[in-house]
Amino acid sequence: MGPVELLHMSVFSQSFSPCGRFLAAGNNYGEIAVFSLSSSLSPEATEINRKPILTFTAHEGPVFSLLSTDTHLLSAGNGEISAWSWTELAKRNTKAVWIRRPQYKLSLEIPEINAMVINARDNSLAVGGGDNNVHIMDLESGIFKSVLQGHTDYIHCLSIREREGELLSGGEDGAVRMWDVRTGQSVHCVEVYKYEQCARPQHGKWISCVTTDSDWMLCGGGPSLSLWHLRSLSPTSVFPLSGCQRQAMFYQDLILAVGEGHFASHCLLGGEVKSLIPCTPPSLNTLALNTNSTEHRVLTVGGSSDQIDVFTNLSYRAFSLSF
Amino acid sequence: MSSDALKKRKPKVIRNEGGTPENKRSRGDGDQEFSVLGLCLLWFCIQMIKRESIKCHHGISHVCLRQSVEIEERRMQSCIHFMTLKKLNRLAHMRLKKGRDQTHEAKQRVDALHLQLQNLLYEVMHLQKEISKCLEFKSKHEEIELVTLDEFFQEAPPEISRLQFTKDDPHQQTLARLDWELEQRKRLAEKYKDSLASKEKILKSIEVKKEYLSSLQPGLNAIMQASLPVQEYLCMPFEHVQKQNEVARHLPPPLYVLLVQVNAYSQACDKSITVSISGDVDEAKALSKPPEDSQDDESDSDAEEELQNTRRRPTLGVQLDDKRREMLKPHPLSLCVDLKCKDGSVLHLFFYYLMNLNIMTVKAKVSTAADLAGAISAGELLNSETLLSCLYANDKGSETPNPANRYQFDKVGIATFGDYVSELGHPYIWVQNLGGLQFPSDRPEVTIYGKSLSASHMESSMKLLKGRLQSRLALHKQFSSLEHSIVPVSSECQHLFPAKVVSRLARWTTMTYLEYAELPYTQHVVQAGLAQDTDLYFLAQVERGTACLQAAMVLNPRYPEVTPLFALSLNWKGERTGRTDDNLRAMESEVNVFRMELQGPRPGYQLLTNQLQRLCLCLDVYLETESQDDSVEGPREFPREKMCLRTVRGPNRLKPFKYNHPQGFFSHR
Repeated sequence: MGPVELLHMSVFSQSFSPCGRFLAAGNNYGEIAVFSLSSSLSPEATEINRKPILTFTAHEGPVFSLLSTDTHLLSAGNGEISAWSWTELAKRNTKAVWIRRPQYKLSLEIPEINAMVINARDNSLAVGGGDNNVHIMDLESGIFKSVLQGHTDYIHCLSIREREGELLSGGEDGAVRMWDVRTGQSVHCVEVYKYEQCARPQHGKWISCVTTDSDWMLCGGGPSLSLWHLRSLSPTSVFPLSGCQRQAMFYQDLILAVGEGHFASHCLLGGEVKSLIPCTPPSLNTLALNTNSTEHRVLTVGGSSDQIDVFTNLSYRAFSLSF
Repeated sequence: MSSDALKKRKPKVIRNEGGTPENKRSRGDGDQEFSVLGLCLLWFCIQMIKRESIKCHHGISHVCLRQSVEIEERRMQSCIHFMTLKKLNRLAHMRLKKGRDQTHEAKQRVDALHLQLQNLLYEVMHLQKEISKCLEFKSKHEEIELVTLDEFFQEAPPEISRLQFTKDDPHQQTLARLDWELEQRKRLAEKYKDSLASKEKILKSIEVKKEYLSSLQPGLNAIMQASLPVQEYLCMPFEHVQKQNEVARHLPPPLYVLLVQVNAYSQACDKSITVSISGDVDEAKALSKPPEDSQDDESDSDAEEELQNTRRRPTLGVQLDDKRREMLKPHPLSLCVDLKCKDGSVLHLFFYYLMNLNIMTVKAKVSTAADLAGAISAGELLNSETLLSCLYANDKGSETPNPANRYQFDKVGIATFGDYVSELGHPYIWVQNLGGLQFPSDRPEVTIYGKSLSASHMESSMKLLKGRLQSRLALHKQFSSLEHSIVPVSSECQHLFPAKVVSRLARWTTMTYLEYAELPYTQHVVQAGLAQDTDLYFLAQVERGTACLQAAMVLNPRYPEVTPLFALSLNWKGERTGRTDDNLRAMESEVNVFRMELQGPRPGYQLLTNQLQRLCLCLDVYLETESQDDSVEGPREFPREKMCLRTVRGPNRLKPFKYNHPQGFFSHR
């Protein structure tokens, strides 16, 4: 990888290993890099410890989504899902355990996969992407058992409400759809851009992030990032963030969000922006919090740079991992 | 009478009574050595007088005048006592004087004796000193190395050795040995004189023979001269080669190695390379004669003195200048290597050797076959200063590769060699290697020396030099059409672009490194260390309608091996740059990263123009696929003409910048 390629690299996805000691990150060249958090967080860490312990080409297109199960790392490339065993990756063995492709209609272009989410209740994987549909795969058998159709443009993001057995999806068409996984039917459809509080016509109508926590939902994108009460399906607070947000998450009583602009935003549930923490990449695509290991409990943020910022404390950047 | 006497006595007695201690003290003060006996007598007399006077008194007060006879008697008595007292006093004085005289006499005698003793002691010391001086005397003969005693008795003739005298008397023995030494030395001096005479004779005979040999030279020359037409007729340039070899003998070793290797390479591989020697041969001859070591030392120490002097007297700056010039002086001979390209343009390389610094430098000049149209932005391309920079990566040729030079520079106050490169040429590392010079660099590597080093670098360097010239000439041609806002796309590369590209190159200008570094949208390139001050910088402006795309470009001297790097800023409905807009960043990577698609036929001289054309194409796609704000009525400024499968894709909503050739549609990467 030459310096020019590094200059034009973007990090799209991250996932922590089940043990919490490794971080996998996917970039726009289809590569996955595995970083060792334990060595980069040690007090005597040098530049070398902040380089990946393993880099391998996983897909042809960009790696838009990464996900960890108890034993495997799942990565999504152009129209395919690959699984890598974490134990094999730790031994620097980069052979995929399995590769699955959802059934797509014939097209000139293979649709990309933008989001994956695991439904632990029936051990299935929901995959959303370029063909406007959500494909549900049974992880046990590897068979795609159902297709959720309804979006009119490609799907940006997915989120699961396990207790209710509901799957949420946000797409380029500006709709957040709630699906009953058991029946495969769309239960609700919220067109966020039609709500005046959230709409930002100068940016567009797409929804690029959806997150849920019990009865609450966060969504944003072209429209402003907003907190919704799901029972009443109404926005309770709208966050005055300038750029389009690409990923958001609940953390304790805070909302963390990243998107356009070189900072991670901390918002209060009431709708105030508490702080903007500067990061290295000029715009951010992904943030991830390591909850798998208490000693390596860090927040990592990646974006349009070869650097992944690591926060040991939420309020300032500790150091950067780099490809 | 008696009453008179009484009256007289009375005060006397009274004075005696009151003055007794005073008298005593004054007497004691005056005569320290008053004898005890004298004192006792005096005291006794005084007591007597006292008693008499008391009796008198008594008599006067209580006894009647009848008793006056007795008083008279008493008076008589006291007078006698006084007389006695006076006599005793005189005696005491005389005795004292006598004692003093005796003491003085004795003391004088002792002093005389003491003086005598000291004189004697001094004499003894002086004599001892003289003795030790004599004992320490060194004779000159002790420094002469004599033959050993046994050898002397064996070799010396008996009239010198005189065995019977010298056997037991060491003095005589030494004298004899010295005589023998003198004799021997006389003989050796004689021998030396003889040898000198014979040497003179031999020298004379050599001289005669030399004269004879040199008288042969003109005759031989005449024969050579006569044979020249024959050589020319037969096309055998012996003479020329011979002349070159003759001059080459005076070349310094690195230039000689270079000459030999370039000749060898041109004979074996590439006939288009020619080499010639230029410069003052006589000066070079003069240079090669005097022993250089001693001169060097002197100049070094001089330089040190010089430096100290300049601190005291600033007028010596002129001399320091001379020292600098002396240090940077090139060898009077230089090599000129000409590389001819197929189109007839020639790259002239002039190689110099700096004797005191032990490095080689090179100057370059290009002479082109056709008169090149003067493109303003192309001015830097064939500039002899920058033409050869970074032929190998990071070989900038501004600093001297010889680490020893730094210390030499310190002595004469040269801050950096970079100030002199325009005058002396550039000391690139490949130049040193071609001359067989190898200097230890910061990183350890395998070292080869001399001719094998030069040979191992010759082929790659010559190929790089030719490639550099051709790429620069190709760029030169492209730049002149770019300045007329035409992006030349050759027929081999037509398939990379659709037939209709609406965006047009509007401006093509050159800029400096500082101007580049100040642009707000190039900071990431500068920070990544991809913009060096050896690179060339250009600003392209691509326009379509109201949109204006600025592209700042870094052109590495190693182009086309190193891809030119673009940084973009779009001025349309507000300013957007590659840092703030993911799609512009994607456009940057489209032109910067995918050089394999763009470089065209090897070795890729069309890379730059293809990149510019793709930039125009990407701007078309960017503008046509920009989502329309539904609230604004009226026709779109840029109607969608390009065939796209999808306008946006992925989480960062990229536009389809990739052109698929035969089908003619645009897709995502």
